[in-house]
Amino acid sequence: MNRRFWVYIEQEDGKAHQVSWELLGVARRLADEIKDELEKTGDTALVEGVLVGHQMDEVAREALHFGADNVYVVDDPAAKHYLNKPYTEVLTHLVKKHQPEVMLVGATTLGRDLAGAVATSVGTGLTADTTHLAMGSPKEGQPKLLMATRPAFGGNVIATILCRNHRPQMATVRPRVFPMPSRLAEAKSNIIHEDITITPDMVNAEIVEIITKKGSDVKVDYADVIVAGGRGLGNAKGFELLQQLATELGGVVGASRACVDAHWISYDHQVGQTGKTVRPKLYIAAGISGAIQHKVGMQESDFILAINRDPNAPIFEIASMGIVGDLYEVIPSMINQIRALKEAQHVH
Amino acid sequence: MFHALVSIKQVPDTTNIRIDPETNNLIRQGVPTILNPYDAHAVAAAVEWKRKLNGKVTIITMGPPAAITSLRECIEMGADRAILISDRAFAGADTWATSYVLTEVIQAVHKEDPLDLIFFGKQAIDGDTAQVGPGVAVRLDLPVVTYAVKIHEVNTAEKFVVIERKTESRNEVIKAKLPAVMTCEKEIADIPYASLPDLVYSLRYEPEVWTTEGPITFDPAQLGLKGSPTTVFRTGTPEKHKAGEVLKTAETGVDVAVKTAFDKILEVEGVASMLGVQR
Amino acid sequence: MSTKEKLTFDVIVVGAGLAGSAAAAIAARNGLSVAMIERGQTPGSKNYFGGALYTHSLLEIYPDLWDRKPPLERPVTESGFWFLSKDGMVRATVQGGKMQNDPIDAYVALRAKFDAWWAEQAKKEGVFIIPKTVVVDFIREDEKVVGVITDRPDGEIYAPVVIICEGVNNLLTQKLGLAKHDLKAHASALAVKQLISMPAETINARFGLPSNEHGLAASVMGDVSMGLPGLGFLYTGVDSVSVGVGVTLEALTKAGIKPYELLQRYLNHPMIAPMIAGGRLMEYGAHIIPEGGWTTMPKLYTDGALVAGDAASMVNALHWEGTNMAIMAGKAAGETAVEAHQKRDFSAKSLSAYRARLDKTFVMTDLHQYRNLSHFLKSRPDFMNTYPAFLNDALGMFFSGFGKPKKQLYKDILRSLTDRRPLVKAAGDMIAFGRTIMGF
Ligand SMILES: Cc1cc2nc3c(=O)[nH]c(=O)nc-3n(C[C@H](O)[C@H](O)[C@H](O)COP(=O)(O)OP(=O)(O)OC[C@H]3O[C@@H](n4cnc5c(N)ncnc54)[C@H](O)[C@@H]3O)c2cc1C
Ligand SMILES: Cc1cc2nc3c(=O)[nH]c(=O)nc-3n(C[C@H](O)[C@H](O)[C@H](O)COP(=O)(O)OP(=O)(O)OC[C@H]3O[C@@H](n4cnc5c(N)ncnc54)[C@H](O)[C@@H]3O)c2cc1C
Ligand SMILES: Nc1ncnc2c1ncn2[C@@H]1O[C@H](COP(=O)(O)O)[C@@H](O)[C@H]1O
Repeated sequence: MNRRFWVYIEQEDGKAHQVSWELLGVARRLADEIKDELEKTGDTALVEGVLVGHQMDEVAREALHFGADNVYVVDDPAAKHYLNKPYTEVLTHLVKKHQPEVMLVGATTLGRDLAGAVATSVGTGLTADTTHLAMGSPKEGQPKLLMATRPAFGGNVIATILCRNHRPQMATVRPRVFPMPSRLAEAKSNIIHEDITITPDMVNAEIVEIITKKGSDVKVDYADVIVAGGRGLGNAKGFELLQQLATELGGVVGASRACVDAHWISYDHQVGQTGKTVRPKLYIAAGISGAIQHKVGMQESDFILAINRDPNAPIFEIASMGIVGDLYEVIPSMINQIRALKEAQHVH
Repeated sequence: MFHALVSIKQVPDTTNIRIDPETNNLIRQGVPTILNPYDAHAVAAAVEWKRKLNGKVTIITMGPPAAITSLRECIEMGADRAILISDRAFAGADTWATSYVLTEVIQAVHKEDPLDLIFFGKQAIDGDTAQVGPGVAVRLDLPVVTYAVKIHEVNTAEKFVVIERKTESRNEVIKAKLPAVMTCEKEIADIPYASLPDLVYSLRYEPEVWTTEGPITFDPAQLGLKGSPTTVFRTGTPEKHKAGEVLKTAETGVDVAVKTAFDKILEVEGVASMLGVQR
Repeated sequence: MSTKEKLTFDVIVVGAGLAGSAAAAIAARNGLSVAMIERGQTPGSKNYFGGALYTHSLLEIYPDLWDRKPPLERPVTESGFWFLSKDGMVRATVQGGKMQNDPIDAYVALRAKFDAWWAEQAKKEGVFIIPKTVVVDFIREDEKVVGVITDRPDGEIYAPVVIICEGVNNLLTQKLGLAKHDLKAHASALAVKQLISMPAETINARFGLPSNEHGLAASVMGDVSMGLPGLGFLYTGVDSVSVGVGVTLEALTKAGIKPYELLQRYLNHPMIAPMIAGGRLMEYGAHIIPEGGWTTMPKLYTDGALVAGDAASMVNALHWEGTNMAIMAGKAAGETAVEAHQKRDFSAKSLSAYRARLDKTFVMTDLHQYRNLSHFLKSRPDFMNTYPAFLNDALGMFFSGFGKPKKQLYKDILRSLTDRRPLVKAAGDMIAFGRTIMGF
């Protein structure tokens, strides 16, 4: 018997969403975690991708490079753009046909839209926005289940959720929570074309217009370096200073909600519960007090540098390093020092 | 006549959640409950369109009796009818069991008085799952538009709606058949400030209460904890980032503090190479 | 849905604080239709204090108080003064004896919880509570108040008598011309406080309380207020400690000190800091206390309106009595409204019965007796610092002068007083203070 670990490969206009690769990495790890059970039963574990859309061969091949054993592809002109109902029907069909044990979907706008519908139509449970996944036995000796852990109550609590009696065990997973797996130079496995067509009765809505966002679209959620500012900046101009530092560090500018509410910067930059969840290598919080709603959005960062005048600011509780001082002295010094550092190394 | 239904939830105000520092348990006592913020905006949008189209708004919620306060808040905003779905048997429902109950109720309301639009919030801030709306849509076999930011047009004569939704990378304008389900972002409408007579009316309003006893029947196997495919295995508090060294510029001087910071930052895996400098 | 009927009640109460819910309950209990208007999301959501509530006043409104299970924190079983010097403290507190009355005279409470419950009791009497609404003005007919105007569209609401329980920020009372002035800076204290959460066992251990059924209420004097005339406090809740300090607005502005600096100084005091160490900040806030009492009291009634509680400056700052005065005044105002309805006479003359009622209670007699206190403190700005510091020195020397001639010890102790204040002046201070609080 094959025990299948599925990943929904999210794509838009023939471009894959990075979370899909992160999830292939996770699925591989989960498959490895049941090795002991496989040895006993002689079953095999398969990591498989599912891809729906039109003309996305490139994406399918990439999936193989990120470790999928198989990729199921449904290619139909009617599936060119994501729409809830046809995609739900296609996936429901595939799930019923192949009976995966686990199915992971990115907790993106598209993924959450789709996963909720698929879970309902298949009749299984779904754990949303997971941040930790493992295969484990709820009790000694019992078969392993997907242990899906997620934050709740605004990040104040984490809960581990099980889906005992229904399959697949579904979870959506926040982007950037898990690392990117390394890309294999060679892909040995298969692309399996599924012969499903989208019939008109599967379509109950249509996209009449696509409005691409104007201006530079900020991708705080995928930046490796974020220089974030809070109310402590005092005014909108402060963000120009932060931008200078961000540019030097090859990063982007983030913000607390207080600044967005004050119209100092656009909502795209907001980090936190009602903004973006980020997981950069370096997060610099300047003039941000560290309210719980802000922290839940950035506390997974690898390194947090907090700059605040108030030594009691809660942001220091989670900062890898803190500087108590005026950001208008600290940030310029940072800009100077990084410039000097780069220059010095150039000379060598 | 235009008839909209909004499904709302009363949630603990997560900004006020406290954790017992000793036991690490959630202190539920004294945490105020509020109408889920996204749902409030959904109600505002429904009311805005009922006023434009001269229609009616029905509110439903599944929850404890205390949720009546939130229903009254919806009446205050201008909704016409409110139903509390409340019964011990519903307790412990996950999103699957929740969407089952809501679907049954929505169908009953629809039978009495056909619905055009069914509104949900984008997500409830206690669970943040965003699953109930799409789940109900699937059960009702209706089109669903999630992350809606603007309703462009509601055409009850030709039975379609045009809604703009927000995805990560762009906005999409979607045309869907009526009746349709939508889940709303806050941009969908501003919360109105009720007149005093409307407020007074809402404070006196008594919502209908539906239970397993009636007026409709539910399949007991699909309710509450029993009807939920997922179960909470354990809960805990998130591990916090450990606080690191804190330097005061008043003591070390600005440049020394910054230098120390850079020394540490460059030690973080991958950062030095990313910045193009060597450690 | 919008029914454009004219909203009419027998009584309108403005503000669902301690005074408001008491007044409303009494009026409703006697058969009147009462609307109580509160600007907060719910009653209590915007209110807070030190502090303690006094049993006698609660029983005055609800004789069956204990059956109603009020959300009180700990009974106050230990109370008194802590005198702080720069780095030391003398405690003069009392426990047992008179503090063990049954029921205990005072209970620590958290206003957000208590006020919500207090208003809920009024609701049970039939009061109609209108939250999230601010009263901004009055409707007048022939100079008589016949209702109020709120900040909402179509926001008029009518009643022949309005009881104003708006608290210290008495804009409405001023609008009626009852209070002629804005808050007087020397007669208003700004109190800043923090609510710090700690496990009950920690509180019991740190404050020497045998169980959760024991609580401490301390007034803190001396080095609490950065040399300004002020008073600190510390109250123990079940699993929280309420600490704060109040200083007159005038002194604060003159010294140019920010309220949170003042509080931080107090919390960092070497004697106070260990008591709250490791606790978690739950709430921070600043609130004015109308310490002027008698001297700043407005006229209490006019045609169609009555004023009660902080809005009428009913606070005895030295004893931390405000809630009980507010409740007693609310009760008297409620009774007066009932009587006015019986007589169908809402004129100032008819409503003056309110003042007559209050005159018979401790509210008016105490406020009159303490009328010179704020002037006393203003004219002796060092009073609150000098003596606590001296007390610390004196007792410190007394209990540490081992192996020294005791004659020298007493001389030193006296010196530590006269260095601060010549003996004659010190005696004068004491006499003046005595006269002030005795009300001569
Ligand atoms: C339902 C809900 C959702 C929310 N979602 C979010 C969210 O997604 N993201 C979010 O960020 N917030 C969110 N909030 C708001 C959050 O509670 C805080 O209000 C907000 O994060 C505060 O922003 P801040 O830290 O910039 O401002 P403040 O709390 O005002 O902090 C400013 C800080 O700057 C410091 N400072 C001032 N001047 C200087 C200087 N010259 N140099 C150095 N330091 C200085 C001060 O000491 C202070 O600590 C949400 C709130 C609610 C109720
Ligand atoms: C730090 C501190 C410690 C204290 N400690 C003690 C103590 O230990 N013991 C004690 O007895 N007293 C104490 N007091 C004093 C006591 O809190 C007050 O005297 C008492 O709360 C007065 O009650 P009130 O009903 O007059 O006013 P409040 O309790 O202030 O109530 C006024 C209400 O009116 C509402 N309101 C105001 N304006 C409007 C409007 N225009 N429209 C609608 N609603 C409005 C407000 O939201 C509020 O709910 C303390 C005060 C402070 C600040
Ligand atoms: N118990 C409930 N009763 C009514 N509506 C609900 C309930 N739970 C969730 N909803 C609706 O579903 C939306 C999404 O909730 P959730 O899937 O829990 O994030 C909410 O914004 C509400 O509109």
